[in-house]
Amino acid sequence: MGKLTKLHIFEAAIWASFVAIFFAFSFEFDREIEIYKFGATGWPRAVLIVLVIVLLGNLWHQSQHGSAAQVGRVGITDDDVDVADKTAGSIATIVTFLLLPIVYAWSLKPVGFYSATPFFIAFVIMLLGERRLKQVCGITALIYGLLIGLFMLILNAPLPQGTVSPFYDFSGFMLRMSNQLQSMF
Amino acid sequence: MFDNFIAGTTALFGDPVSIAIFIFGVLGGMLFGAIPGVSMLTLAAILLPFTAGLEPAQGVMLFAVIYCTGTYGGAITAILFNIPGAPENAPTAFDGYPMTKKGMAGKAVGAAVLCSAIGGTASALLMMTATEPLAQWAISNIGPPEIFALVFFGLAVASSVGGNTIWKGWMSVLLGLMIATIGQDPVGGINRYNFGLSDLAAGIAFVPAILGFFAVSEIFVQAEKKAFGKYNAPKLSVDFPSFAELWAHKIAVVRSIIVGFFCGILPGIGATLAAFMGYGEAVRWSKEKEKFGTGKLEGVISSETANNAATGAAMIPLLALGLPGGALTAIMVAVFQFHDMEPGPLVFYNSPELIWVVFAAMFYANVSILFIGLIETKTIMQLLRIPFHYLAPMILMLASIGAYIGRGLVLDVVVMFGAGIVGFLLRRSGYSIAGIVLGIILGKIGEQNFAQGMQMVHYDLVTYMSRPICFILIVAGAITLATSIYKALSPSNNPQKQA
Repeated sequence: MGKLTKLHIFEAAIWASFVAIFFAFSFEFDREIEIYKFGATGWPRAVLIVLVIVLLGNLWHQSQHGSAAQVGRVGITDDDVDVADKTAGSIATIVTFLLLPIVYAWSLKPVGFYSATPFFIAFVIMLLGERRLKQVCGITALIYGLLIGLFMLILNAPLPQGTVSPFYDFSGFMLRMSNQLQSMF
Repeated sequence: MFDNFIAGTTALFGDPVSIAIFIFGVLGGMLFGAIPGVSMLTLAAILLPFTAGLEPAQGVMLFAVIYCTGTYGGAITAILFNIPGAPENAPTAFDGYPMTKKGMAGKAVGAAVLCSAIGGTASALLMMTATEPLAQWAISNIGPPEIFALVFFGLAVASSVGGNTIWKGWMSVLLGLMIATIGQDPVGGINRYNFGLSDLAAGIAFVPAILGFFAVSEIFVQAEKKAFGKYNAPKLSVDFPSFAELWAHKIAVVRSIIVGFFCGILPGIGATLAAFMGYGEAVRWSKEKEKFGTGKLEGVISSETANNAATGAAMIPLLALGLPGGALTAIMVAVFQFHDMEPGPLVFYNSPELIWVVFAAMFYANVSILFIGLIETKTIMQLLRIPFHYLAPMILMLASIGAYIGRGLVLDVVVMFGAGIVGFLLRRSGYSIAGIVLGIILGKIGEQNFAQGMQMVHYDLVTYMSRPICFILIVAGAITLATSIYKALSPSNNPQKQA
């Protein structure tokens, strides 16, 4: 086992699951292509095989040297935060921060950009430590206004309008306002 | 050539509409390149429908100018926020961001301004003098086997930079290659890994993936540091490199121009690989290899010279062969098609004025980087004064809009945030985000050219390796790979104590 830790084994298990899932799903399109000997599965399966070999190399490296970086590697980032600094509250904050954008993205289709965005901006500001309500509301309004001004009024970019009332109606109202403002200039 | 250039210049600056479009392109490219979360591709996607109303020369010229200045603009965010504006700026962040953390942001941005202008201008001059002969050479010597060989070499170089170990560098690249297999296969058009979602049939669009892996993951990383009380605001400084400092890197500049131009000229390769290879070659030939990645000016110089040197070269396959060299040149093909034109050899004969207006505009756009870039730098650097808790939602929103606009799919926003979470977790574990992104970009190109190459040589590897360029590139890639593995296995390159 050497310097292998549970975290290393967990990491390897995630990669192995990834390979297994992609390999299993490759049977769904395992059909011959008349003009190409290796078919549609040739390339992805070859990549998966190389990935397994490299994964084994990585496990071997971790068993010999642990998590330490190789000497002479360039472009390494110092993204990990010391474990000792972590508290339950801060972990909960970062987990919420990771999940919030996914919730926002899924809400775009039913709720639309115009209704969902102010709430998202305000939550992000609060999660990042701003607690003063005036600042939260003011900065939210400023960012929202800048985005609407740039993408809706100036660039006329199509943004999700939502499918559910009253959000869809609000998007319609925003678009009518935008058209009126544009026609004034 | 000089007469044509003068004619192009006259046509460009003799028409007020063309002047307005040129200025808009220069400023728009710089601005969208330099705003974290959006990129020149976002601007290009938004502007594309409007170009239908422009003259063909004006439309193509607009995107050519955006390409030049946007490639430079992306370096600003890479240096200041560790968020490359485009994939071609990813290697710039390797040394640019550490320089910012050391309070040397001004010097890094100043070097990016100067080297982008030098690389781009040299490339524009080479493009003007050599487009036709280079296109002829490319037609007769470069085919799918050579392009696949270059992709292999590029991936070998990319795996050796970024990532804590060679293993993690390769795993990152291979993950990118697997993501690129989602969607239709490039030979038979068979759907792969769409998991029942019809929107995935077209594959993972690389703009949301890039925004997720670079911009969103960086916001998550900084948010984590802030939550744990470890966040340090970047230090603001305006301190441009001296002439002596730049002159000391003249060889790196010349080498990056050659590397960048060569990569740019090859269809489908573009500026991204140019930047990685420019950076990789700088590391390879440096006597201070260990200092790369810690804030070495040469890293910024090599990457930024190479990616801008590729911009002019990327126009050669587009204009001479009708083959786009990257995402933005692919959008230019759409501009041609809007006007019932096809880029290719006939354009030189049917529309020489279009060619020379574009060439002249690219030359002046690169020169303008030097002047406007220096002014813009001082303005953009003020972004560092904005508190992170106000800047982060702005970046996330711009990225969301940037991801959505390309195809008008909410799925792309979901993919972007998903990529952000995956990128955040992988970065914390020592994987290379730049490697993943390069894998995504080169995956489809690599597979397509491998398949075509194999068909061409009737699946005979001896015939394949008997092509001189293939042989050189495959051997060079294999040597790069073998050297990396040797280093990975060598005890002298691995610490004895666990970090």
